[in-house]
Amino acid sequence: MGDSAAWGSGNLMTATDGFKRHGKDTYVAQFSDSEREVLLNLCEQIIELLAERTDHGHDDPLAAMVGITSHDSPPEDEVLHRLLPNAYADDVDAAEFRRYTESTLRGKKQAHAISIRMGLKSSPEGDIELDHDGANAWLGGLNDIRLALGVRLKIENNNYEHLELLAPDDPLRGVYAVYSWLGWLQETLLDALMDEIVE
Amino acid sequence: MVKVADALEEELRAIFSGDSPWVTIVWDDPVNLQSYVTYVFMELFGYSKPKATELMLQVHNEGKAIVSTGSREEMEHDVARLHEYGLWATLQRGDQAI
Repeated sequence: MGDSAAWGSGNLMTATDGFKRHGKDTYVAQFSDSEREVLLNLCEQIIELLAERTDHGHDDPLAAMVGITSHDSPPEDEVLHRLLPNAYADDVDAAEFRRYTESTLRGKKQAHAISIRMGLKSSPEGDIELDHDGANAWLGGLNDIRLALGVRLKIENNNYEHLELLAPDDPLRGVYAVYSWLGWLQETLLDALMDEIVE
Repeated sequence: MVKVADALEEELRAIFSGDSPWVTIVWDDPVNLQSYVTYVFMELFGYSKPKATELMLQVHNEGKAIVSTGSREEMEHDVARLHEYGLWATLQRGDQAI
């Protein structure tokens, strides 16, 4: 699994202190303008990425109404494949399951990103306040963004060397910084959520 | 005795309905945070923090763990929810080699 230890609030690029718990079930964070912009931009991209595939011609409109799609092969794009993985090792079972569920899964993932986007859009000052469900949507949405960036960065277990050694002007260096920051942000929200759970 | 009879009845019903137990497996991946995986297990399955942590560590150390058991339909539901939260999960018959 991944770790977020490489990032901390002492880092130059972060202005926010991350999420803190307020009261019983409220989680708050304050983002700077640039952090808000980065998050909004990433949400837009993931929402677009998860939009229905157009590579399979026209779906039967009646089937589409109940969430059945004409395609049952896994996405060719590596990122989409990670976000919408096969449910079975067996190809036939996996295809059948995908036909009936992929559309719903896309919708749920989009809803997480849309929830983050709405929260940020409705607060130009960057103040975010979440209830329990809102926190879960943020966790799921941030995680999908990290999964997408992780595929592009070729993140592998305990191997960040190729990323630490990137040239200062390599665009992937910025992507890696954002990836690390998102992991740290997710961890602050998890800390706040787990804090209340009595063992 | 009543309990044993109930258990037997349940078992026989499962055999004749062809509804032998299925399992949901979560696989390790290099991006998901340990605390996140633990939290998702607690949130989706209602597991205690110690149980969720133990399962998370099994995924992390052994590459995979069975996180739930039940009918095929139930396991498809579990896998769909795990996918919603970005965990890499599959389902299969409980008697199949993982």
